[in-house]
Amino acid sequence: MSGIFDTDVENAWCPGCGNVPILNAVKKALERTGKPKHEIVLVSGIGQAAKLPHHVDVNVFNGLHGRALPAALAIRMANPSLTVVVTSGDGDIYGEGGNHFVHNIRRNPDIAVFVHDNQVYGLTKGQPSPTSDPGWTGSLQRSGVISGPFPPLAVAIALGCGFVARGIAADIEFTADLMVQAIAHKGFALVDILQPCVTFNKKNTYQWYGKMAYKLPADHDAADRVRAFELSLEWEERIPIGVLYRREDRPCFEELHPGVGDPPLHARETPPDAVRDLLRKRLFTLP
Amino acid sequence: MGIDVNIRIMGGAGQGVHTAGGLLCRLAVAGGHHFHATQDYMSRIRGGRNSYSVRIREIPVRAGRPQADIVLSLDPGHLPHILSSVSPAGIVVCDLPAGEAGSADSRVIAAPLKEFSASAGSPILANIVGAGIVARALGIPPETVDRVLTLEFKGDFLEKNRVAARLGAEWAQGRVPDSFRLPERAFRARMILAGNEALVLGAIAGGCKFAVGYPMTPGSGILLGLSADGPPLGLVFEQAEDEIAALNMAIGASYAGARAMVATSGGGFALMVEALSLAGMLEAPVVVALGMRPGPATGMPTRTGQEELAFVLSAGHGEFPRLVLSPGSVEEAYALAHHAMEMSEAYQVPCILLTDQYLADTVVDADPGDFPALPVNRRIVHGNDVPRDAKGRYLRHAFAGDGVSPMAVPGEPGITVVVDSDEHTEDGHLTEDHAVRIAMVEKRIRKGEALEMETLPPLLSGPPDGEVLLIGFGSTKGVIAEAREILSAGGVSAAAVHLRQVAPFPARAVSEILDRYRTAFTVENNRTGQLARLIRAETGREVSGTISRFDGLPFTPEELARGVKERR
Repeated sequence: MSGIFDTDVENAWCPGCGNVPILNAVKKALERTGKPKHEIVLVSGIGQAAKLPHHVDVNVFNGLHGRALPAALAIRMANPSLTVVVTSGDGDIYGEGGNHFVHNIRRNPDIAVFVHDNQVYGLTKGQPSPTSDPGWTGSLQRSGVISGPFPPLAVAIALGCGFVARGIAADIEFTADLMVQAIAHKGFALVDILQPCVTFNKKNTYQWYGKMAYKLPADHDAADRVRAFELSLEWEERIPIGVLYRREDRPCFEELHPGVGDPPLHARETPPDAVRDLLRKRLFTLP
Repeated sequence: MGIDVNIRIMGGAGQGVHTAGGLLCRLAVAGGHHFHATQDYMSRIRGGRNSYSVRIREIPVRAGRPQADIVLSLDPGHLPHILSSVSPAGIVVCDLPAGEAGSADSRVIAAPLKEFSASAGSPILANIVGAGIVARALGIPPETVDRVLTLEFKGDFLEKNRVAARLGAEWAQGRVPDSFRLPERAFRARMILAGNEALVLGAIAGGCKFAVGYPMTPGSGILLGLSADGPPLGLVFEQAEDEIAALNMAIGASYAGARAMVATSGGGFALMVEALSLAGMLEAPVVVALGMRPGPATGMPTRTGQEELAFVLSAGHGEFPRLVLSPGSVEEAYALAHHAMEMSEAYQVPCILLTDQYLADTVVDADPGDFPALPVNRRIVHGNDVPRDAKGRYLRHAFAGDGVSPMAVPGEPGITVVVDSDEHTEDGHLTEDHAVRIAMVEKRIRKGEALEMETLPPLLSGPPDGEVLLIGFGSTKGVIAEAREILSAGGVSAAAVHLRQVAPFPARAVSEILDRYRTAFTVENNRTGQLARLIRAETGREVSGTISRFDGLPFTPEELARGVKERR
């Protein structure tokens, strides 16, 4: 597949990696938004998933592990005319960056967040991630994962996130469609993407996901928060994919913040007269 | 020497110590005098023992004194702790029940503060009654007190305050000595502001448009100021969920073209250190205001120290240039905060403003001429000024001569801006090519060399050569200057060097100065002599010793002069 968003950066992923179809879904989704390249910013942290922005010809901020969300938030605050999309891994967003995940859902900035959820740390070679199933054996938890899994969709719904969806790497069209909706949603939009790691995760494979995942029925009421929460907890028997929860009535952070808006911060001036007025407030004169 | 009156208001948090202290500062300026005020407060919301000291002179004052001439004690329980720090001819005004400890001391003047507060119509005006008594001792006319009070209060409460102050002043007639009366002087308009406030104003005047932080004393005062004074000039403020988020946010905003800053203290800065390294790698201009307090760990949260010098010089993994500025006064806090904003963008490096609790909370009157509206030189390129390669791509990290590549921002039509915390090619994409790695390291280091060319020279005062040289950085400037005067008056020829920039270090200038004095001491609010070590590393020269104070309190001039005499 080739398109307007291609770059010539060398691919560093394993043959068969789940990041490849996710990349294709991202490019498809961005094409469908019709936005020009210079108005899109892809933000990521560190990990194999976090390399994705290098393969898309848009603005890129590839920051520190776990810190994609703070950077993305600030880019939106500095220039709300930019479309900001975070695309990074489960360790990055749910583990190292867990605090930012929680508090940015609370803030509700207009950011679409795509989490490549392969339940394993790939780049550091096979340690469990926050979403690994209990009992799964990784290179640092040799007798099996003891902690319960982090339930991203349940947490997001509990925190009042206005767009909570699950995609699946194997279905590019389906996932791209979720991404388009997430970008269009005004506010924090989460798309957790079931992603096989062909090298380190021998349990949650393409085949396993294919067997477990089911598309939410057309009559699913995404406005029903309690039902969405119930669905977000389904995992052992089968895994729902699609938009679990959605509400459009919550204003986004940028709308509520009194200082954010036009002009963007880079274009705001510092008139000497305004500085003098400010300094004059500290000038003591007798009444 | 002229007048030199040191007033100390003491009481628990919530008793109006700060309000009464601030009022006396304004009264001093209203009378044409100069003052220096410092605060000493405990880490709590209510109660404890807090003090606000106001030292008044005929010349600008840049240091405090430990001994108070006039104490207003709002809590009689504090008396036993107060008396040892009152000068022999001093007075202590205190609402003292008969028979309380300390009442036998002839310096204690029992005053009906609470009773007059009630008469004035409010139970919370004991501080203003006391201020009225102190104003009378200073010989400040009641009409001046009335005028200044109109600046602080409004309406019915203003009237009650006026009554309270007047009751205090009338009562004091004949009950307080005349020895502290200030001579009459002509009033001149002056700036009145604290170190933190000046730093905030400098940053805003320097074009700061994005500020973020997580509250931590003494950095919180900077955040408070930025969030209050910034928005009218287009600054956007946000409280982050933690310090890690704060600096990563500031860098994100910087990438989008905003001049951005954070403010914190040592512990918060420790959490920001990885992001500082990110700023180095992305070549993102960003300013970190670090208010030092004693550590390790939580240390003494509301007290002062200079323990983070070595920390900020090496903070962040990897090698990258940085600018570290260390303002020594309220005026320098303003000028250097503006300078930080300019230089950080000019060289695309992180800049640290190293201040401390003492300077943060120090209030003085200052010359308005020292607070000019300085120009803001934005360096972001647009349109045809954006350099492109043969393929039409913008190279964010283009190999420029001095290492500083033209900076464009996302949203610029026709280009994309790519940055990566990995080592990267000129276009910002990650690379593992060793030749590119070498070129990129050299590019970043070249920026540091260019930055070094603009190093602010150390400020030398006193004889150009001689017996004793005192060297300090940051908030010790005023204390060292006065200690030098005390030494000179006592026949010891002493000079002082103030470092307002510690990285890049002005090595040649410091070496040349050091070579001209027989003995040289660093003056530092830390135990291990971090500045002495830095001087050794940067100049190969060994100072004679370090005069340290690390109890959490600032130096005072007499103490410092005494220390020099003992060590000389």
